[in-house]
Amino acid sequence: MSQSQPTPPQLILRFFRMYCNPLLVEAIEGDLVERFEIRASKKGHKKAKRLFIKDVVQLFRPEIIRPITGTQKLNELGMFKNNIVVAKRQLLRHKMYSTIKIGGFALGIAVCLLISLFIKNELSYDKHIPNHENLYRVLNNYKLDGDIIRWTWFAPPFAQAIQDDFPEVSLAGRTLEGNGFGAGKTNIRIEGEMQNHYEGDFIYADQQILDLFQFDMVHGNLKEALAQPNTLVMTRKKAEKLFPEENPVGKTVYINDNTDRPFKITGVLEDLPSTGFFQFDFLWTLSGREFWDGEQASWESQNYQVYVRVNPGTDIESLNSRLSEIGTKYILPVEKRNGNPNAEEEMKNMSFSLQPVTDIYLHSTDISDPYRKSDIKYIWIFGIIAAFILGLACINFINLSTAKSANRAKEVGLRKTIGSYRSHLITQFLTESILYSLLSFGIAIGIASLVMPYFNELAGKSLELPWTELWFIPTLAISAIIIGVIAGLYPAFYLSSFKPALVLKGKLSMGSKSSRLRNALVVFQFTASIVLIIGTFVVYQQMEFILNTNTGFDKEQVIQVRGTGFLGDQTTPFKNELLKISEVSNVSVSSYLPIRSTSRNGNTWWKDGRTKIDAGITGQNWEVDEDYIATLGLELLEGRNLDRTISSDTSAMIINQEMAKKLGIIDNPIGQKITNRASNRMVWTVVGLIQDFNFEDLRAPIRPLAMRLNYGANIASIKMNGENIASTLSQIQGVWEEIAPNQPFVYEFMDQSFAKMYANVKQIRNILTSFAVLAIIIACLGLFGLSVFMVEQRSKEISVRMVLGAKVTQVVSMLSFNFMKPILVALLLATPIAWYMMNEWLSDFEYKIGLSVQLFVLAGLSALLIALITISFQSLKAAFTSPVQGLRNE
Amino acid sequence: MGKNHLGEFEEVVMLTVAILHGEAYGVAIIEEMESRLKRSVSIGSLQVVLKRLEEKGYLKSEMGEATSVRGGKRKRFFTVTNVGKDMLRTSKEQRMQLWNALPDVALEFAGLK
Repeated sequence: MSQSQPTPPQLILRFFRMYCNPLLVEAIEGDLVERFEIRASKKGHKKAKRLFIKDVVQLFRPEIIRPITGTQKLNELGMFKNNIVVAKRQLLRHKMYSTIKIGGFALGIAVCLLISLFIKNELSYDKHIPNHENLYRVLNNYKLDGDIIRWTWFAPPFAQAIQDDFPEVSLAGRTLEGNGFGAGKTNIRIEGEMQNHYEGDFIYADQQILDLFQFDMVHGNLKEALAQPNTLVMTRKKAEKLFPEENPVGKTVYINDNTDRPFKITGVLEDLPSTGFFQFDFLWTLSGREFWDGEQASWESQNYQVYVRVNPGTDIESLNSRLSEIGTKYILPVEKRNGNPNAEEEMKNMSFSLQPVTDIYLHSTDISDPYRKSDIKYIWIFGIIAAFILGLACINFINLSTAKSANRAKEVGLRKTIGSYRSHLITQFLTESILYSLLSFGIAIGIASLVMPYFNELAGKSLELPWTELWFIPTLAISAIIIGVIAGLYPAFYLSSFKPALVLKGKLSMGSKSSRLRNALVVFQFTASIVLIIGTFVVYQQMEFILNTNTGFDKEQVIQVRGTGFLGDQTTPFKNELLKISEVSNVSVSSYLPIRSTSRNGNTWWKDGRTKIDAGITGQNWEVDEDYIATLGLELLEGRNLDRTISSDTSAMIINQEMAKKLGIIDNPIGQKITNRASNRMVWTVVGLIQDFNFEDLRAPIRPLAMRLNYGANIASIKMNGENIASTLSQIQGVWEEIAPNQPFVYEFMDQSFAKMYANVKQIRNILTSFAVLAIIIACLGLFGLSVFMVEQRSKEISVRMVLGAKVTQVVSMLSFNFMKPILVALLLATPIAWYMMNEWLSDFEYKIGLSVQLFVLAGLSALLIALITISFQSLKAAFTSPVQGLRNE
Repeated sequence: MGKNHLGEFEEVVMLTVAILHGEAYGVAIIEEMESRLKRSVSIGSLQVVLKRLEEKGYLKSEMGEATSVRGGKRKRFFTVTNVGKDMLRTSKEQRMQLWNALPDVALEFAGLK
C-alpha cells in the first residue's frame, strides 16, 4: 500500500478486526478498504472516513460478529460417540469388574439418595407454618452448678404478662399438654349416643394458639373457634371418624361421661402435616378454665407452654435480655412473700429466652418439653456416614480402574502415538466413569424404590421418591455427573500419563506408586467399615443392657388398661372382680407410672420447718393406691406401705432413697415431716422408704420421688402370673365389659410401652446396622475385585510354584497374607477412632456398658474373617487351577 | 416452493451476482446495484444476505488471489449455483404468471398500461 494513498482510520479498523468473525474478516476488510479508497478519491478524505465508520458500525451485527462458541467447529460428536463405544466395550469385556464397580456405586448412591430424602424431610419440620419466622416459644433457663437447665413449662399468667409488657410481642398463647388435668387420651362420647370412644391426644389451648399457628380450618374460623368456655376443635381425621359424613360443628360431646360439663365442637382443623413438632387430635379451650381456685392468677405452678408472635424485624437478642423483667416484676414478690430466703439469688440464675418454632424439632435435645423430637446431631452423623459409603464405592472404582491399567496401557500408547492429546484421553476416561455413574444411578433409583418401604419403617417416616418435583431429575443427573468425575479423576490422570514409547516397547512396569495408593485406599475402606462395625456392636450391647437392666420395678407380665378415670366409685369393685381371676395377682390404679407418656409433675420439697432456710429440692409427687408397690414389684426398704384404713394416711408419704438423701433424712427417714408448700400449709409424714427405681429414661439419673394415696386415676396396672396370657386377657376384658359396657377396652403390655421409650435408640441401632452391613459389602466387593486382579497378575508365578510342588495351603496363605496387611493396619487405625466416638455416644446415658476389649477384638476379627473369606474364593480357585492353564501361553 | 421463497433483496443480489458473472465480490456487487438500481446498499446488509444465500446453497464463494490493492486483502468471489439459477427462474415465472393473469381492464384502471 503506497504512502500517498489515504488510509482508513486504523483504530476503527482494529475494532472491526476484533469483533468480526475470523472466517469473514479478510474479504470484508478488503471491501471496506476498497470502498474507502474509492470514496476518498471521489468525495474527499473526511467524508470517506465518516462513511467508513458508518460501514463498520453497520457491520456490527450477529451474522458478522465472532460467534461465542468459537469458529473452529470441529465435530466433537464423533469423538464422543467413539468414547462411548470404547467405554461400552470395556464394560462388556470385563464383566466382573464392571459389575463390582457399578454394583458398589449403585448401593452407595441408593443409600445416599434415601438418606438425603430423610434429611430433607427432617429439615423441613415446621417450615409449613405461615409466617413461622416470627413465631417463637418461650424457654426457662436456670443456671445450676455451672450447667444451664432448660424447660418449657410456665405459670398461667406468664403469656399475658409477656404480651402486655413487651410491645415487640404482638400475640402470646398457651397450651397445656402431657397428662395433667385430663389432657392426653380420654373417653369421649357424642351426645345422644351410648358408646364411649377412647381417643387422644387432647391438648388444652388458648384461642390465640389457633391464630399463632395459622391452622387450616375445614369448618369454623381461627379467630373464634376456641373463644367461648367449654368449646373444642378437632382434626379432620377424628371428625370423620366420630362424625362420618357430617359437619360436627355445633354438636355436643361429653368427656369421661361427665354430663355436667358438656363440650361444644366449634371447629375442624385440616389434618396436621407430619412434619410438625406440634401433634394433637383435639384442642380444648383454656377459656374459662381454672384447674383449682386461684390457679389462673397464681405464679406458683408451671404447667403451660407459651408461644409468642413477635413483630417482624424484632431484635430477638435484645428482647431476650429484657425478658427476665417478668421474673423480677411478678415472680420475685411472690417468692419473697412465701419467705424464700434465696429468692433474689434464684432470680439471678433464672432467665427466659425465645426459641424459633422451627428449631424445636431438631435443636431441643437439652430442653425438657412434652414433644417428640429428633436431633440435628444424628442428621449430621447419618449424612457423614452416607457420604462415607459413597466414598467407599468411589474407591472401588479408582482401585479397579488403576489395577486394570495394564490392559489400557497399550490403547493409551497407541492413541498418543497417533496424535491424541492428553486432554482427549482424560476426556475419554471421564466419559467412561460418567457413563458408569449414570448407569449406577439408574440402578440405584431402582434399589431405592425397592427398599423405600423398609427404610420408612426403619426411620419411622413415610417418604417417597419425589418424581413429580421439578428439582429431582436434574439434581440426580448433575449428581451423577459430579460423582462420575470425582471417581474418574484420578484414574483418568493416571492412565493418561503413560509414556507411549515405553508402553509400546512393553516396558511398562506396573507402577508401585499406584499399588501403594490402592493399599492406602483399601486401608481407608476397612477403617471406615470397622469403625461402623464396632459402633453397631456397641449400640447393640447398650440397647440390650437398657432393655434388660434392672430398673428397680417389674415390668414383665403387667398389662395396663387405660381409661379407668370415669369408673369413680366403681374402681374398687372393678379391682375386686379382677382379683377373682386366678391368674391375676395384683391390681393397682394410678396415672403415675415408670414409663413415658404417663403423668408427671414437679414439686419443691423441704424438710418441715426449713422452708425459709433451705433452697428446697425438686421432686415428683405421685398419686398411687396401696397396691402400687406390690403390683410393680417395688422394694420397701423401711417403714410400711400406705394404708387407707389408717385415717392419718391422708397426709402420709412414701419417698425414694434419692429424696431422703437430698432432704438429708436418709439415716432415719420414718416419721420425718416434709412439706411441698413454702407457706407450710401442707405437711406430710414419711411412713415408708422405697428402693430407687428408674421412672424416667435410663439416660437420666434417678430423681427424688414421693408417693401418696389418691384414687380415681386413669390407668389400671394388672400383674398376671401364669402361662396363658391370652385367656387371662380375655377374662380381664370380660370384667371390663361388665363394669363399663360402653367403654372401649384399651390395653398395653408394660414391657412393650417400656421398650417404646427406647424406640429412637432402636431406630439408630437399626440404621447403623444397615450402614455397617452396606459398608462391609461395598468394601468386600472392592477387595474381591482386587484379589481377582492379583491372581490374574500372578497366575504364572502360582503355576510355577505349583509345578515345583507347592501345597495348596502354602499358595492360599501366600496370597491371603498380602491382603491381610492393609486390613490389619485398618484395624489399628479404627480402634482408637471407634473408641473415642462410642465413648462420646455413651456419655448420654446414665446407665451404660463399659467399652470392653473383647468387643473390639470381636469386631476386628469379624472384619478380618469377612475379608479372608472374600479373598480365599480367588486364592483357592488359583491354587486348584491346573498349572497348565497359566503356563501354556508362554 | 413456498418454504424456499426468495426475498426481494435476496433476488436482486443474486441477479447482480449473476450479471457480474465471476467478477462478483463485495464492492463490485454494491457498485453494480447502485449504478443499475439507484439504491444505496451498506456493506453490512449485503454481507449478511450473501452469507445467508450461501448457507441456503444458492451462491457459492471462493477466495481470489491476493493483490497489492485493498491493503493486500483477498477478495471473496461469489457465483450463482445451479440451485440458485433454478430458484431465480422459478420466481421469474411466478411473476410472469401473475402479470399474464391481469385482465386488461384492471391494468388500465390501475394505470399500469
